[in-house]
Amino acid sequence: MHGLGAAASAVALFLFCSIAFGADAEAGKIKAQVCATCHGNDGNSTEPAIPSLAGQPAQAIATQLFQFREGNRKNPQMSPMAANLSNADMNNLAEYYGGLKAAPPKHRSAPANAAAGPELTKKFNCTQCHGPALLGQQQMPRLAGQQLEYLRVQLKGFKAGTRADMDGNMTSAAQALNDKDIEVLVDYIAGLGAQ
Amino acid sequence: MRFAIVVVAAAFTAAQAQDKPAAAPPPSWQQGKPQAQSESTLHPFAPHLTGRASKELPVNTLKVPAGFKVEVWAEGIPEARSLALGDKGTVFVSNRLSKSVYAVVDNGGKREVKTLFTGLDAPNGIAFNKGTLYVAERGRITRYDGIENQLDKPAEGKVVVDNLDPSRAAGHFWKFLAMGPDGKLYFNIGAPGNIVMPNYTQASIMRVDPANGVLETVARGVRNSVGFDWHPKTRELWFTNHGRDWLGDDSPNDTLHRVAAKTVPNFGYPFCHQGDTLDPEYGKNRSCAEFAKPALKLGAHIAPLGMRFYTGKMFPAEYQNNAFIAMHGSWNRTTKQGYNVMRVTFDEKGQPKMQPFVTGFMTDEKADPPMWGRPVDLLVMKDGSLLFSDDYNGILYRVTYKK
Repeated sequence: MHGLGAAASAVALFLFCSIAFGADAEAGKIKAQVCATCHGNDGNSTEPAIPSLAGQPAQAIATQLFQFREGNRKNPQMSPMAANLSNADMNNLAEYYGGLKAAPPKHRSAPANAAAGPELTKKFNCTQCHGPALLGQQQMPRLAGQQLEYLRVQLKGFKAGTRADMDGNMTSAAQALNDKDIEVLVDYIAGLGAQ
Repeated sequence: MRFAIVVVAAAFTAAQAQDKPAAAPPPSWQQGKPQAQSESTLHPFAPHLTGRASKELPVNTLKVPAGFKVEVWAEGIPEARSLALGDKGTVFVSNRLSKSVYAVVDNGGKREVKTLFTGLDAPNGIAFNKGTLYVAERGRITRYDGIENQLDKPAEGKVVVDNLDPSRAAGHFWKFLAMGPDGKLYFNIGAPGNIVMPNYTQASIMRVDPANGVLETVARGVRNSVGFDWHPKTRELWFTNHGRDWLGDDSPNDTLHRVAAKTVPNFGYPFCHQGDTLDPEYGKNRSCAEFAKPALKLGAHIAPLGMRFYTGKMFPAEYQNNAFIAMHGSWNRTTKQGYNVMRVTFDEKGQPKMQPFVTGFMTDEKADPPMWGRPVDLLVMKDGSLLFSDDYNGILYRVTYKK
């Protein structure tokens, strides 16, 4: 019995190690040097049209890189960047950026939008998938504290049906938004704490 | 006068539209969600599209019956879904959300993954027959003749049938594909949403004769089937079907069905679920007695996908002509279930009964996500071993047996 117990703990230890050394954040960090120009040295973008990656769910980052490489999502800067990344590269980049700390947002929401925002994010199903504080989970990105112009462009793209999504959920959800809703939402969300 | 009425009606509609914007069309998987569950945070699980390495995963915690062994056979196949076996041993692998079909070639124990096609439209369905690979995309089926001789540079395919999805509606747009014993290609056309009235081609299983493109309906009232096979003895079609969502944790069951020879049964969708439960909305003026019954209830929201009969020589004799079902696992349930490969045995009257075969992907039935892998399709190999795909990680596993 004692022998069996030891074997079991050896297996558990092995599992722990193999999980801990899965996707390689260090390799991701090296690959990320070229990303830093736009997305910021620490993954926190200072450009209004460019998203912050720091602290995003790793699966959300890998999913978007995959969509760029496969040509489902198109962007003049990102499409060529993703074209030559392997799946392992994408997983490593995702692991690296997922482990960085999201900075507090610099954006200050207009008081009226901050007041209206919580109800709107429920009404339009944002919180349904992105979580009650819009921090993201699994393949769904964190929205809280994201760059305002980036959020605006994505929502308008989803509404127009020109921004690829995985399964039609965002395209479907965005159909209910009018321009005013979008402006209130992005102003509110961009000012939310990212932790 | 008639013209004037039309103008007034149009003006009224426009005014209405300005006052009150049209209600949001819910994402397709949320369609039919009742008010009582509006706060529910249940959601489908998306695969890791870039795949995950098996060394990151607790593969050695998978459980199989005594004498059996399960191991990783190939990996790095993003969103591996349906499987098909070529005459020369090539394993073809499809996906649903991505756009590619892959070919896995066994080079003396080392598996090489080749990307066969890219840029396809949800090519979930694949079938191999007499040297030809058939690929079912969202709206068409294409044939690639002599495919195993040109894995590195396949020639252009020839369209078998097109315009299968003219409305491009949301919902269950991906197809499963299999070659029947009658030489016809069988495929599903899923319901265009969770619980909606299908048109005359939707919520069905159809077949097409690749020789002339003639389409026929095989079964109706089938919400979405993504797995079927023919019983090796009776030659009857059996298939799995997904029941509707948002009707509670335990209702309705997903189901296994048999299509008796020379019938075109209607299995009830959207009026009646699991053969005995009327839909609260569509079932109001109907009776379940109108519809054919399922052969077996499989569990609510358990998501049965691939279903294949076992005809190999490796497993013990009692496995002959059993069926295996890959359970992708539930999302629309507060306590999750499924995520296993199940074995279906048949009694002397042909009645099916189900038991677990490969388990261990689900680690916490309350967690989000509750599992680290999800079985999708099955494939009996020439040596009698059983492959199954896992789209969550992009991995193929192989189950073998040794006395």
